[in-house]
Amino acid sequence: MAIDIKKVLKRFDISDVNMGVSTGQKWYDTKGAVTSSTSPVDGKEIATVKNATMEDYEMVMEKAQEAFKEWRLVPAPIRGEIVRQIGLELRKYKEDLGALVSYEMGKIFQEGMGEVQEMIDICDFAVGQSRLINGVSLQSERKYHRLFEQYQPLGIVGIVTSFNFPVAVWAWNTALAAIAGDVVIWKPSSKTPLTAIATQKIINDVLKENNVPEGVFNLIVAKSSVMGDNFLSDKRVPLLSVTGSSAVGKRVGGIVGKRLGKTILELGGNNAVIITPNADIPLAISSTVFGTVGTAGQRCTSTRRIIIHESIYDKVKDMLVNAYKKIAPKVGNPLDENFLVGPLIDKHSVAAFRNAVEQVEEEGGKVLIGGEIMEGEGFESGNYVMPCIAEAKNEFHIVQEETFAPIVYLIKYSGDVMNAIEIQNNVPQGLSSCIFTLDVREAELFTSVAGSDCGIANVNVGTSGAEIGGAFGGEKDTGGGRESGSDAWKVYMRRQTSTVNYGTELPLAQGIKFDF
Amino acid sequence: MIDKSITIEDLVEDYPFSVLYLSKKGIRCIACGEPIWGTLEEACIEKNFSKDDIDAVVKELNEMAKEQENK
Repeated sequence: MAIDIKKVLKRFDISDVNMGVSTGQKWYDTKGAVTSSTSPVDGKEIATVKNATMEDYEMVMEKAQEAFKEWRLVPAPIRGEIVRQIGLELRKYKEDLGALVSYEMGKIFQEGMGEVQEMIDICDFAVGQSRLINGVSLQSERKYHRLFEQYQPLGIVGIVTSFNFPVAVWAWNTALAAIAGDVVIWKPSSKTPLTAIATQKIINDVLKENNVPEGVFNLIVAKSSVMGDNFLSDKRVPLLSVTGSSAVGKRVGGIVGKRLGKTILELGGNNAVIITPNADIPLAISSTVFGTVGTAGQRCTSTRRIIIHESIYDKVKDMLVNAYKKIAPKVGNPLDENFLVGPLIDKHSVAAFRNAVEQVEEEGGKVLIGGEIMEGEGFESGNYVMPCIAEAKNEFHIVQEETFAPIVYLIKYSGDVMNAIEIQNNVPQGLSSCIFTLDVREAELFTSVAGSDCGIANVNVGTSGAEIGGAFGGEKDTGGGRESGSDAWKVYMRRQTSTVNYGTELPLAQGIKFDF
Repeated sequence: MIDKSITIEDLVEDYPFSVLYLSKKGIRCIACGEPIWGTLEEACIEKNFSKDDIDAVVKELNEMAKEQENK
């Protein structure tokens, strides 16, 4: 039974035309372009959004600057209390927001709810962290001196999110930035503005009830001509957190780097699963299929390559193809619980998928299953595809690229597991990786200094579906940023080293004499 | 009317056919499901297109847009 999306839209008070600029306390009627949000599920326009103009951008920026002066003085645990309440509100709206994510973005409802759960989880994490923003106390070499480090808020944090996790990535950044004492300006993906507006509406009630200054939690729906390079080069924004492709990340890194600003870049991946002869193969298959077809292959951490030892290659290949045969009838409306794979975000992504299928064959690969665009009843939007498995070589040009769609390449390796690790690492990207093995030596090698070069290296756990507790991010063309758990909160703060002299004399460091 | 200062975001949205056209010229407009940032001119320069090449791209895109309009 599919979810009634009209009821969901009503719950968020989303009308035909919506305002796209909010400062937390207020919504602003803007005069920018009116853009529409179209569902990949059925190809229908959901609603339209009034975008921001340059004047709106300036207005929000000024309010954010003012808000920061106040917000930074609010004790961190009190800031955490606001985030706690946001987490409680999100719990109330979990199903509705999950459904809207599903309808606007295309992931299945279960994953939509999972995305909201991630928002709740990071709020909970941030609440605890709000009492743990700690620094270290060090031993001074000088008598009657105290040496310590502390963390101070940065100011305005710019957050640019992508369509595939339209709200969770905002939450990862915002929950931590808020408890750190920063204020945020969120530019959501132009493909998913309504989930952003719904999220802002959920939090606005909390902000009003607690008299949070206007300008702490800001949303700006804008085209890149209004909020693009100017946002990146704006010195009022000390930190930019951007989720997107490596191409976008290189541009962001260049522009922000030029002014020596800080960035968190979460960019493309080319994630591999290694299956060794010592693997629990059924476990590897189940995990890998979720990694390849979950979210229709549109996660940064989706599995793109499966590197299989030659001794088990045919067996694993047959099991994967059989698993995909079971997936085939499960491609359909993501709001209907009978389906496991929803549509791609739009026809451009479908074209990219088809291009990859054709290119892998042109380069000498072999399609084993899938690769077609689905047709017929329920697939009228033209965005549904049958996930594809193809045999390929790691050096193929198409294999070296990230195709943001459900196509996975099977690659054979022989000999030692180091050969598989080498293949694994031999791509420009470095986000997520995993090995399936019950051999402790192989497992330890994979996570050792000689092992995976990715930000995420799992053992008997697939490449996708990270928990919020660990820092999330990757190396090389993935950008090097870390967000979410562990000590990622430090990126949202400036580190300060202080020395206090509580004596009556003035000894200089390194014993330098400077008498006059 | 397309000119070289059009953002890739607007180009992709208003003239979807340009994605395939530019892809054949080695310019990937969509990455990770989202349009890349910057203008048509910047995307061309990154691929070492000369000024004449860029003018030719703009001209061809406008011709294609006209064909689409007439359909």
